[in-house]
Amino acid sequence: MSTRNSSLGDRFAEITVIAVTVVALLAGWACKTSVETRSIAFEADGITAQTPAGWLQAEPAGDEILHTNDFSNAGFGTTYILRKMPLAEGTTAAQIASLLTLERAQNLTAFRVLEQREVTVYGRTAYEVTYVFVESNPDLTHADIPSVVRGVDYIFINGDHALAATYWAEENDFEMGLGRFHLFLESLTF
Amino acid sequence: MPESKPLRERAHIWRDEFLLIASLIVFVGIVYALDNALQPAFTPSTLLLTGVFLALVPSVIWLMFFYVQDRLEPEPKHFVLGVFAIGALLAAAIGMPLVENVYRVSHWLYADTVTTILGGILVVGFVQEFLKYAAVRYSIYHSEEFDEPTDGVIYATAAGLGYAAVLNIQFVVSNGGVDLGAGVIRMAVVALAQASFSGITGYFLGRAKFESEKIWWMPLGITLAAVANGLFNWLRGRVVQTGVSLSGGSVNSWLGLALAAVMALAITGIILGLVRRSIRSAQAAK
Repeated sequence: MSTRNSSLGDRFAEITVIAVTVVALLAGWACKTSVETRSIAFEADGITAQTPAGWLQAEPAGDEILHTNDFSNAGFGTTYILRKMPLAEGTTAAQIASLLTLERAQNLTAFRVLEQREVTVYGRTAYEVTYVFVESNPDLTHADIPSVVRGVDYIFINGDHALAATYWAEENDFEMGLGRFHLFLESLTF
Repeated sequence: MPESKPLRERAHIWRDEFLLIASLIVFVGIVYALDNALQPAFTPSTLLLTGVFLALVPSVIWLMFFYVQDRLEPEPKHFVLGVFAIGALLAAAIGMPLVENVYRVSHWLYADTVTTILGGILVVGFVQEFLKYAAVRYSIYHSEEFDEPTDGVIYATAAGLGYAAVLNIQFVVSNGGVDLGAGVIRMAVVALAQASFSGITGYFLGRAKFESEKIWWMPLGITLAAVANGLFNWLRGRVVQTGVSLSGGSVNSWLGLALAAVMALAITGIILGLVRRSIRSAQAAK
């Protein structure tokens, strides 16, 4: 297709179109971020946090005090869990991590631990366990193959109890959702 | 400022647009009726192939009308096909990856009404309308063949239908084929909508080339097309949702098709009216 040179006015108009589109896309990004970081206050058992707004709050089971997941996701719904566990004197975070790992190995399909280490999370010492498993809940409404889920537990020791903050997300969504989980961790008080 | 041919209404362009709307409705009706009457059994691969074939039909219909009716006022066919292909390539290479993978709109766009409208305009609308504009602006726009304002509508419609074809093919492929009845309605809606929004951009492009428009003229065109795009998608979501039951939400795709047809008719009518007004002004000035 043969072309002619643009006039100056034409070039300015072209640059203006690009500028307006860039501004719209930046505003769109701000809109996306504001929706994704909307949160609601959670409080139970002296523990408070800001959990994602619009997620489904499931009835906590056992020692869970919070179980919330993103039901809008077509595949495995990204999930945050808080568990409060009583501690025997002298029990370390690493021991709690081992107990949780054993429990997960029994309950989750194809469970594998990828990494575990002691870390500092927003000024608090925690034990981090990263792992992977295959979603195995029977679900008649999903025609997809089961998802590979990556998870991470942060175990905090606080006096006579341990607090485990868990993040589960589909392998492909894990990194993308980690920032938001960190906001949740940052908001956590106990 | 490039010299334009005397401004003509070029009746066949508008006839093509109206015929596209009417024939798409007829096409959907035929496929829907055949699907209900014959209830064909497809293997996964034939369902996929049939879906891809149906995804291309709206574009082929428009191109056929265009080829048949353009004999009296010819536009280079390979240029029209070229812009169609560029629209399709930009959709596949930039548009869909940006909307689906970078912005991940399916994760947040439907959080609430305001977000659906704002995100639909700012992200989906601007990405799609800018790329369709780019398909014309950086290919045929400076060519000798783009020699009158109404060419903007022709080439932008071609780019829009190329974009729609890729959106439809992606929908079919990602679902491993589609239910023929509901699927063909969706394809017709996407084609009508994309062609209509492109018509807005095309009108502004045509005038931008041949008339001394202000610097805000073309951004205004893209913005109007993006707003129409975002509002239509939100409205379609509202219109097709007919109820929620224990087994899930129920939708009436025909209402979506009716809305798309009305919108396409309205936009084509408005652009035709604006072109006629420009012709009258030009004649009065003489």
